[in-house]
Amino acid sequence: MSDIAAVTGVHPTTVSLALRSHPSIPLGTRKRIVAAAEALGYERDPLLDAFNFHRLHKRATKDGATIAFVVDANTSPYFFGQAFHPLVYEGAKAAALAHHHAIEVFKVGPRDLSTRRLNTIIASRGISGVLLSAFTLHTTRLDIDWQNLSTVKIESHHLLPEMDVVTNDQCQAARLCMRRLRALGYRRIGLATARDDESRLQDNFSTGVLVEQAEMPESECVPPLLFERTTVDEITARVHDWIRECEVDVVISNWGELLGPGQPMAGLTLGNTRLRIPEDIAFASLDVPPHRADIGGIVQNHRLVGLHAMEHLSVLVRTFRRGAPDAPSVTYVPGFWRDGATAPRRSRAALVWSLSAHAHV
Amino acid sequence: MPAPKENRSATIKDVARAAGVHFTTVSMALRDHPSIPECTRERIRAVAKEIGYSRNPVFSALAQFHVHGRQRAAAPKLAYIINRDRQARTDFFRSPDVYLDGAREQARLLGYSLEVLQLGQGHHDSRSVERHLHASGVNGVVIAGFEPGNDPMALNWDEYAVVKIDSMHTPPAAIVVGNDHRQDVRMAFRQLHAKGYRRIGLAISRADEESTQHRYSAGYFVEQRNQPLGDHVPPLIFPLATSRDDAILQLGSWVRQHEIDAVLSHSPSIDQLLRASGLRVPHDVACACLALTEHDDPDALAGVRPNYRTVGARAISQLATQLKVGERGVPEFSPQTYVPSKWQDGRSAPGRS
Repeated sequence: MSDIAAVTGVHPTTVSLALRSHPSIPLGTRKRIVAAAEALGYERDPLLDAFNFHRLHKRATKDGATIAFVVDANTSPYFFGQAFHPLVYEGAKAAALAHHHAIEVFKVGPRDLSTRRLNTIIASRGISGVLLSAFTLHTTRLDIDWQNLSTVKIESHHLLPEMDVVTNDQCQAARLCMRRLRALGYRRIGLATARDDESRLQDNFSTGVLVEQAEMPESECVPPLLFERTTVDEITARVHDWIRECEVDVVISNWGELLGPGQPMAGLTLGNTRLRIPEDIAFASLDVPPHRADIGGIVQNHRLVGLHAMEHLSVLVRTFRRGAPDAPSVTYVPGFWRDGATAPRRSRAALVWSLSAHAHV
Repeated sequence: MPAPKENRSATIKDVARAAGVHFTTVSMALRDHPSIPECTRERIRAVAKEIGYSRNPVFSALAQFHVHGRQRAAAPKLAYIINRDRQARTDFFRSPDVYLDGAREQARLLGYSLEVLQLGQGHHDSRSVERHLHASGVNGVVIAGFEPGNDPMALNWDEYAVVKIDSMHTPPAAIVVGNDHRQDVRMAFRQLHAKGYRRIGLAISRADEESTQHRYSAGYFVEQRNQPLGDHVPPLIFPLATSRDDAILQLGSWVRQHEIDAVLSHSPSIDQLLRASGLRVPHDVACACLALTEHDDPDALAGVRPNYRTVGARAISQLATQLKVGERGVPEFSPQTYVPSKWQDGRSAPGRS
């Protein structure tokens, strides 16, 4: 199996899971690994396959509890039109399948389902488990009949009542991002995010930055910018001023909106300002959007969040843990760094150039 | 005796062929099922050893289930590994025992038995742990609150499902469960602040910081950020293996130098240590403990009561889930799960009038 790992460039554990068709491994990766295994002449034990099939087949008729994936209509603007993160849903669905649950999406909102209607549906369909997707701060409480349900929340720490939560590790994201940027030569790393994002995420981005700054020289510490959620233009203007005032050399943010399309043929800019990225100011994302290989920063494991949330929910459902737990836990799923053109390695020349650029804009 | 095919390790079918029995007989014999006579079991075990058969982890996972409601002959074992003496002084690092009750109970509920293994001088080393685990057929391991400053444990991690309680300083990079250190400090800070204390200092050990990857100071810095700069106090971090006397001296000078009015510490003896340095508690300086257990006097020391039982139980749940799906070794991305704690008032921090 380590031969396969070496050839395909993945971790041996990944190979093991892929060969067992574990849903946590994306289908494309699984296919690639299986192909490599076949090419190397790796043989599966047919006896084990028979046992596995038997076990899964039997369980399919016994289980099959339906899980409700409850989503907030208010989040549509944040998730490109849908009311939930597509990768989170993908992970949840994969885990649901593996544990023989059916999963169905229910959208709650003024133009969609009311909580009352949702309660009726839950009761009549005998749904025993609820996965709560990310909710905006507008909703502080959901009046669903929790006592009869097992529940896991995705992010949404603020949403009452308190339940076990699974979330991306924003603190780790900020810390890892800062470390990688320092290794690339950046010395004035500034965090820019929305004040309400921090409220929703337990101040975790700021926490990560503060912990890293505690070990950095005072001269390299940039105070984070927490902006109000107004218009993108107003926000980028605010960020622009802060970059100048605090002599920031790289902005780290979960706001991809800060990256404007810029002039044609001239690459990215900071919104509609004249600061070019990365020439005048570098940018590292704390949540690289899908299909943006040009953006350097932290890729969050949204799919794993969905997967772990669903796996935990499955345990709760199977062990009949209903209602709000005494001590609702939080599970943090780490992300990983990926290089990108928006945050290249700093050369001495770049350092001199950016100092002069700040002097002009 | 037919040897296993090249590039493939021996399977249960090979053992069956070699022993002249049906594969289900081999399966039951290796699981010590009482329906197979002991001499047959011995013979089959010998054959298995000779041709180099070792149990497939997925198969073992299958065998853990309660098939059709029948319980297995013997409860499979999980290992709960600690690296410090259970009777050692706990001035600065909580005893790994605190998680044990919760872990044992959850193991029992899930059909496992738990065995405690101690690493260190006069006890096991990595090799004897590995031998013991192999001999007992254990492939699920909890690394329970390892104290920094000791040699890391070296097992062949690919063979085991592993969950760590804290122990973030030591390999492997497995799933972690712990009390919510960051939120605990934030909660304690706010409680003390609400009671009128303004110059709140954090006094913890390097061991605490390393085993939690600085989550205590992280919580502290976030709260301190909201305070006026004049009230900022640098944390006191005791080096590894600080003696009690040294700790008393360091505490005394730190509190006096920075005019601290309340100390937040991991040590369950913080009030005694402060008094030993000549300060009156709570008169000169108040204090609160970040790691209270049911063994601490509920009225005397204020502080945070972590939910250690749930932490222990959750670690076992995560381990059982991994074993169930046959996951072994270190995952590519290991999540961390934190359980919140509760605040407890006490005489050591009555509030400023």
